[in-house]
Amino acid sequence: MSLLDILYYPDAQLRRTASAITNVDGKIAKLADQMLDTMYAAPGIGLAATQVNVHERLVVIDVSEENDAPLVLINPEILTSEGEEEMQEGCLSIPGVYESVKRPAIVRVAAIDREGNPFELDADGLLAVCIQHEIDHLDGKLFVDYLSPLKRNRIRKRMEKWIRDGADLDDIPERP
Amino acid sequence: MSAPARKTSTIGIRLACVQLMQQLLGSSGSMTRLLPEAQSRVAEREQAQLQAWAYGFARYSGELAGIVDQLLDKPLKKKDLDVYLLMQLGVFQLRHTPTSAHAAVDETVKVVKQLKKPWARGLINAVLRNYQRRAEELEAALTDVQRLSHPQWLLSRLQNDWPEQWQDICEQNNTQGPMTLRVNLRRGTVEGYRQRLSTAGIASQPVADAPAALRLDSPVPVAQLPGFEVGDVSVQDAAAQLAAGYLARYCPEGGRLLDACSAPGGKSAHALESGSFAHVVALDQDASRLERVEATLSRLGLTDNCQLQAVDAADIAQWWDEVPFDAVLLDAPCSGTGVIRRHPDIKLLRRDSDIDTLAALQASLLDSLWQTLRPGGLMLYATCSILKRENEQQIAAFLERTADAEALGESRQILPGESGMDGFFYAPLRKQGG
Repeated sequence: MSLLDILYYPDAQLRRTASAITNVDGKIAKLADQMLDTMYAAPGIGLAATQVNVHERLVVIDVSEENDAPLVLINPEILTSEGEEEMQEGCLSIPGVYESVKRPAIVRVAAIDREGNPFELDADGLLAVCIQHEIDHLDGKLFVDYLSPLKRNRIRKRMEKWIRDGADLDDIPERP
Repeated sequence: MSAPARKTSTIGIRLACVQLMQQLLGSSGSMTRLLPEAQSRVAEREQAQLQAWAYGFARYSGELAGIVDQLLDKPLKKKDLDVYLLMQLGVFQLRHTPTSAHAAVDETVKVVKQLKKPWARGLINAVLRNYQRRAEELEAALTDVQRLSHPQWLLSRLQNDWPEQWQDICEQNNTQGPMTLRVNLRRGTVEGYRQRLSTAGIASQPVADAPAALRLDSPVPVAQLPGFEVGDVSVQDAAAQLAAGYLARYCPEGGRLLDACSAPGGKSAHALESGSFAHVVALDQDASRLERVEATLSRLGLTDNCQLQAVDAADIAQWWDEVPFDAVLLDAPCSGTGVIRRHPDIKLLRRDSDIDTLAALQASLLDSLWQTLRPGGLMLYATCSILKRENEQQIAAFLERTADAEALGESRQILPGESGMDGFFYAPLRKQGG
């Protein structure tokens, strides 16, 4: 098991737009597995390739209690969305920060799985939020972009200081 | 994404709650008996939550089933009772608790995994989301039995006995009774104890009719009551506290009292606290319940004046020493229809046929215990029922067949919620002669 390094906000690489995957081969499957290992170890419930500095459209997710329902989404695309829900979100690239974000409550998603088969998925609740959060990453977008500029700035300053101080995950700054 | 600020999962509580309801509906026992066992299967910090949900679920069971039935295309199979109850628990939370809608749906759906019925995931999701969309229309279509969450047989009896009040009665039954205390007047005054409560941050009000009572504005665990352990105070509804008033009024000379069905012991304790009776014989058929009487009396320091015996009171040959009693308190086994707000599982457990059985038992207790009363003595017949069959009709029939029995003034039927009290019935009777 080899873990990948996660980029931290405000790293400019997080703002890149990922390109579509044209060929689902062994290399992509291996990347998906490594990303899952990295996500579980963090611990997290979703990880986009962008966050490990690979700019291809691949995300991994597992919102189950027991970490036994991994989901690999290649070239994910939101087909329809409805409703509205507000939920606390956090991000492995912005450790220690949790803020409420409003998003559509229910989404229908099309994607390709680890074996290269296309499929569609209806999601609500935490899964719906997580899928939207990860697809945002592939487009260079972060959940702090939904917050007020003032709040976002404060978070950015705090993150910059934390990175300067050595980015110690055991010493994540207190929530303001 | 990292997980949102770790909320504690409620899956374990939900599962335990569904299993408890399954046991209740299968008549495996009462809530009082089954709840502690269910609580032992969840974490300590989850036990209060489980209790609140289980009581609420039992209270609104008819309504919840009525709503879920409308949302199902066809009834679920018998073996899927757990899935059916899980949906009802979800609706309960959406309707009656401040749980966020998202958590109610999401966490409910997750329980299917524990039930090993993953097929039910989509169904439960659909039912709960449809409920959220169509709540008003679904409510409007409920029958009285469903809307009031009372079984048909009980509703019919209430409508028959209380043609004007049955709706109010049902609504009162679906509230939670207040917590009422009985101040031990041997140890202090009601006003004095009220001040101790107030110092402890607990607000309370006196209750008309019940001179030793204080009703709390909101319930607290007994451990927070000042002096509870040393017997300064007990927990007892105001309606049950009226018994001591009847005994004092009609048997002021005191003497020797029989408490025939004494568990959990509150009325015996109250009679001894009031001081008019020198001695109490307390019986109960159920030895384990009699242990609670003993615990109550020993907490209050009253064991010296009390003799406890686990026997069937009606079988007087077995226990009576033929020394007549000055007063007999017959707090008879009954349907409990006056205390549904405290024991909502009564609505699930009782059957119509129980009423006749109970009425026959009450009649036999009245007849046997009458023999143990001295001429001139007082028998106080009491139930926590609101059914006439167990109360005024029972007493009318007893007076009819018992030559030396007479009613002392009016009997009293308290309906649930009247002055905030539980539903209760009292009939004071005197044995002629003496």
